Amino acid sequence: MNTACWHCGEALPTGEQFSATVSGQSHPVCCIGCRAAAEWIDQLGLADYYRLRSEPALRPAASPNDAASWQHAELDRHLVRELDGGKQEAIMLIDGVRCAACVWLIERALGVVPGVESVQVNAVARRARVTWESARCSLANIIEALQRAGYRALPLDARAFADSRRAESRSALKRLIVAGFGAMQAMMFASALYFGVFDANDAGTRDLFRWFGLMVSSPVVLYSAQPFFAGAMRALRARRLAMDVPVALAIAIIYGASIFESLRGGHEVYFDSVSMFVFFLLLGRHLEMRARHRAGDLTDALAKLTPAYADRVAADGSIERISASALAGGDRVRIASGAVVPADGILLGNPCRVDESMLSGESAAVTKRAQDSLVAGSVVLSGPADMQVQRVGADTVLAAIVALVSRAQSERPRLALSGERAAARFVARVLVLASLTAIGWSVVDPSRAFAATLAVLVVSCPCAFALAVPAALTRSLALLARQGVLVVHADAIEKLAMATHAVFDKTGTLSEPKMEIHHVDARFAKNDALALAAALARNSHHPVARAIAQAAAGVPAAQVGQIEEVAGSGVRGTFAAHDLRLGHAAFALPAHAPEPSLADAVVLADETGVIAEFHMSEQERSGARAAISALACLGVSVEIASGDVEARVVAMARKLGVDHHHARQTPADKLDRLNALRANAACVIAVGDGINDAPVLAGADVAVAMGNGSDLAQASSDIVLSATDLTALPRAIALARETMTVLRRNQRWALAYNLLAIPFAALGFVPPWLAALGMSLSSLVVVLNATRIGRHAPAATGSQPHEAMA
Amino acid sequence: MNILLVLIPITVLLALGACIAFFWAVDHDQFDDLDTPKLLPLLDPPDDAKPEDPPA
Repeated sequence: MNTACWHCGEALPTGEQFSATVSGQSHPVCCIGCRAAAEWIDQLGLADYYRLRSEPALRPAASPNDAASWQHAELDRHLVRELDGGKQEAIMLIDGVRCAACVWLIERALGVVPGVESVQVNAVARRARVTWESARCSLANIIEALQRAGYRALPLDARAFADSRRAESRSALKRLIVAGFGAMQAMMFASALYFGVFDANDAGTRDLFRWFGLMVSSPVVLYSAQPFFAGAMRALRARRLAMDVPVALAIAIIYGASIFESLRGGHEVYFDSVSMFVFFLLLGRHLEMRARHRAGDLTDALAKLTPAYADRVAADGSIERISASALAGGDRVRIASGAVVPADGILLGNPCRVDESMLSGESAAVTKRAQDSLVAGSVVLSGPADMQVQRVGADTVLAAIVALVSRAQSERPRLALSGERAAARFVARVLVLASLTAIGWSVVDPSRAFAATLAVLVVSCPCAFALAVPAALTRSLALLARQGVLVVHADAIEKLAMATHAVFDKTGTLSEPKMEIHHVDARFAKNDALALAAALARNSHHPVARAIAQAAAGVPAAQVGQIEEVAGSGVRGTFAAHDLRLGHAAFALPAHAPEPSLADAVVLADETGVIAEFHMSEQERSGARAAISALACLGVSVEIASGDVEARVVAMARKLGVDHHHARQTPADKLDRLNALRANAACVIAVGDGINDAPVLAGADVAVAMGNGSDLAQASSDIVLSATDLTALPRAIALARETMTVLRRNQRWALAYNLLAIPFAALGFVPPWLAALGMSLSSLVVVLNATRIGRHAPAATGSQPHEAMA
Repeated sequence: MNILLVLIPITVLLALGACIAFFWAVDHDQFDDLDTPKLLPLLDPPDDAKPEDPPA
């Protein structure tokens, strides 16, 4: 018999039985919500979902949330965009999208809602764009349909997502494709000229081909290359010499000179070179842009923390749901249990418990009393709570952090900047060389001056420089992201490759908390005690409760009634007429004198006494040992610096094979240790769980935080390991080293090519077709070389970073 | 060689047509999401469907 819910995969409760009838068969489910979702999916004829999916579904909220409260003109104004023809559109982040089958299900489930026009779900960004006819449907209908299928939808502010990203990627794609077509055609006409298909004396045919070349390359220069000209103008106006300046200059000179030559009937034209040049540059930028947009999805995860709506309490006590952006300072809002605080403010009335883990990383809930401050984005666990709004929108702490993260993402990596500076210097030199060539030849043989000068300009195109860095960086960022390593600051790749030391925090990094059951009273079997505790703990958000519920995953659940959570103490409930209590000793055993042995235990008890004691201990994180030996293979020396007591640190260090360890470290001690290492010219990676270690992480060369994508603490880190497996770190280091090797090789290659080609071109030995071919090939080599990164076995732990020399 | 005078305009027209078709496709959302479609060719045909795995 199956013991897991057919819909969500959670353990089935033992008492009350639910079952859902899907495709004529009955399947066990864990709750009414799952039954409703499963049967509704079946009614729509979408039972195939269960066959297609690769992950269990999200457990739907037992009582379908008040979707109707979304039906509000005020909300619509912010979340819904009006389209032509009485249509509306909204973008929402969807919680619970786990695999391709979810996309399939959402598209079909929304497709049957009357009035829905189109649905697009992006599984990677977990975003859906829905268009509907405003006369037949509303945002509320759509959110309700999603809720029935078990997905939680969070509409995003439509103006904030005013499609800037979509517009950017669309126009980039169009420019790229025009450049591609233009370059192909121009190359075709040019090759006819290069290979002497026509008699050199037949000036008419030759000119005709030149004009065709002009025709196909003009859209490339005038349309596709526009961003370069715009960027160059911006840079010049700001009196800087950005990469766009030499690029735009080169394009303009080559294009202008070719037109001039065509008119004059001169020797050579370069329409093909200029089109190729633009195409390759756009290709590089397009790849870079896609990586940037993907990183932007991380910011969206942060935006998700800000709720879109708030329940405002009016003067007469009635509650009105309004858009969070319509809140003003001084408003009084009510926050239901489990809801997100919509703005910064102070708590009024009753104390409540708040989960601020997104902001502070402190996993334990915080108890707030009247007049304490609440922060937007935190979750109220025991509500409802009333709050007086102080700061809204962009003034909130959350908004400041989101801004911080987006700024970090929009910064150009230093490597790319130095690449650009090198290219700018290079082009300045090339321009000097070209002028020297022109002057030299006009003295020796004026008829060849122009051709030689152009050959220098074409053959020395800076695209190898301009592409070398972004191509390699983009490739490695994408590869790392695929392995669960999110690089927040692209600079970190360079530092990661140079790392010599890695300092680990212990708790939460090398080890994870594990619940152990100690001492079970003789009246109960171990599993029964666990089942009782899990039944009590199941609905609590407290980390200990979660650990207990997790430990009981394989155990049939017990049926405990009247569960009540007592803030700050524990959970109580009734089982077979006994009053069960789970919590710290003073709460669980109110009648007994406190026993010192139970001081830091979690106790399950009834009126007669202790049933079981639970102790939290720690366990080494999966892959920690493999990761540390892999780091040693890479020549990175590993240390543990922990605030924990000596004995536990030593035990963990011995278990993992780490020689250097420091116990009882305050953050200041850890920082001193890092500084001492760095003073000895070491490049230090600090790995921590983000929050408690924030100052330490900030002091390291590379800060690596463990955690998942929505954790704000990661704002202070360079790299986020979203994979729970620590071996992602040595793999990332190996990949970073390979990236740097390829990047340096690319740059050296581009330099060697230019040093070789330019003198020949200046001396007039390079025919223009060879110059164009050389330019195109040099760019191609750079791009292809970058795609080789990570081509070797993904088990990078053993790969040698110096294979390049072979 | 006069055939070139016919063929070249045809290539140009074809390239133009391809560009127009591509622009149309871009404007009609065909390239907005390059990540999801690859996940969509949904797994196996019904016949060789695996027996129901208990969801983990």
